[in-house]
Amino acid sequence: MPAQASIVAEFESVRRTTLRRQRLHALAGLLIFSAVLLVSFQRSQFFSSDIGGDPLGRIAIFLDRMIPDLKPEALFEGRRTAGSLAWWFYDLPVWLRLGWQTVEMALVATVIGAVGGVAASLLCARNLMPIAAVRFTVRRMLEAIRTLPDLILALMLVAAFGVGPLAGVITLAISTMGSLGKLFSEINEEVDPRQLEALEAAGAGISGKIRYGVIPQVLPNYASYVLIRLEGNLAGAAALGIVGAGGIGIELQRAITYTEFDTYLAILLLIVGMIFLIDMASEAIRHRLIGLKGAR
Amino acid sequence: MNAERYAQALAVAPHALRSPWGRRVGRILLTILAAAIFLAMCADLELAPATLFSGFDKLGRLAATAIPPSDGGDLLRILQSLGETFAMAFAGTVLATLMALPLGVLGAKTVVRQPVLHFALRRVLDWFRGVPALVWALILVSAFGLGPFGGVIALALADAPNLAKLFSEAIENCDEKPMDGARAAGVSPLMVMRFGLAPQVAPVMASQVLFFLEGNFRNAAVLGIVGAGGIGFELEERIRVFAFDQAAFIILLYMVGVAMLDAFSQKLRAKLA
Repeated sequence: MPAQASIVAEFESVRRTTLRRQRLHALAGLLIFSAVLLVSFQRSQFFSSDIGGDPLGRIAIFLDRMIPDLKPEALFEGRRTAGSLAWWFYDLPVWLRLGWQTVEMALVATVIGAVGGVAASLLCARNLMPIAAVRFTVRRMLEAIRTLPDLILALMLVAAFGVGPLAGVITLAISTMGSLGKLFSEINEEVDPRQLEALEAAGAGISGKIRYGVIPQVLPNYASYVLIRLEGNLAGAAALGIVGAGGIGIELQRAITYTEFDTYLAILLLIVGMIFLIDMASEAIRHRLIGLKGAR
Repeated sequence: MNAERYAQALAVAPHALRSPWGRRVGRILLTILAAAIFLAMCADLELAPATLFSGFDKLGRLAATAIPPSDGGDLLRILQSLGETFAMAFAGTVLATLMALPLGVLGAKTVVRQPVLHFALRRVLDWFRGVPALVWALILVSAFGLGPFGGVIALALADAPNLAKLFSEAIENCDEKPMDGARAAGVSPLMVMRFGLAPQVAPVMASQVLFFLEGNFRNAAVLGIVGAGGIGFELEERIRVFAFDQAAFIILLYMVGVAMLDAFSQKLRAKLA
């Protein structure tokens, strides 16, 4: 059967060249990747920085300093007793007050940013804003806001508004507007035109159309994005204090200045707990909203 | 719509046309309460029109000094720090991926069939998902000294739990049949993962990693603010002394760099999909 043999031979040769090509591509990709990785680690002085070598050993030492030496027998003693929980969280009232300020910053900034985002989204949705030049300008502005990292914006605003929560709120509000404006405009563009037509046929005016045609369609999606953003803003607000823009971050900075690593861990745990609580609350609200939407 | 038809409709479906009084009053009260809480919070944060106006006025004057942007004769150093920032972002993302891979595999319900262990692992990851990179960077810089080393670790620590969560979701969502097939062929568990699982999840994971890489390029600049190396340090120095023309130059350069890397990474991501 010579015909069959030649077919097999041809298949084998094609397979070999394909495999060879694939391997070559994989090898080239791997080489480029390793080169970039090597350069990155070298440029970022990962193994040669002035901390000396042995990065893993350093991490172990630092973790050891971060964990407080609590004594099991004195765990529930007062603040004065070394090794008790109250001694570890020695400045709890101040931290809780600043933690509340962080929550306030996140809430206020999310509300302001969401209102700004709705306004911006109406200006750059293709089906609601007929003037292309306005859409283009608003979109580019939102993009520019999204590229700028929050903390750099905060640095500039602290220079203008002075140290305090005000600079932080404005920072978060601006960046919230940037991200929500884009997401909202996408939602606006997906509004089902048939419901608007039905309302128009029933004789509804423009306000009726918005009230019964647009809002019921967009509101659950808006709310869901706003709640996700609120979670992000809380984490952001916790970090902003590091540059003096209000919130609990200032205490993190202070703990570091005094090299109280165990205090740092205590505040970190508070922040994490706070974010966790808000996450759970907002998830519960979000599920309810989605549930209502499904029932409707 | 005439009055008779209206009455008829009201009789059939009263709540469609009119909310009950109780609910209407409740809604108004709730709105007033929410507005009052919001205003109280604004007052607590010193968010008043007067302070806003004076602040924005000052910001406008500062922004006016930023034109035209200038490199301040330090272009080489700025470019070097920019390179350092992007190097940190890349190294941090790779480290985060290496940390997230085992965590993600262990966090998947289909791999760890022990509900208690699975739950505990997921919760621990959840707890640390919210901590921003800057918070890690602050303490790492204090532990390891100024320089990019702390920044790389901070990025890795901030991203690893998030990536791990996405990885385990990707693993849970994949098709079991190829794995069953590999098992039926009688190969070792490692080979089951290699030929049954990896081909399904690798492209998804790679695209997620690229997404995080883009985010890190964008955010690595802030790490310098606490001394963790890169462009943020140069930027903070110049903002502190109100050299806004140089700060504007750095920000513009950084934005261009981020846009270029973004375009490249998006191309790579589109190829994977």
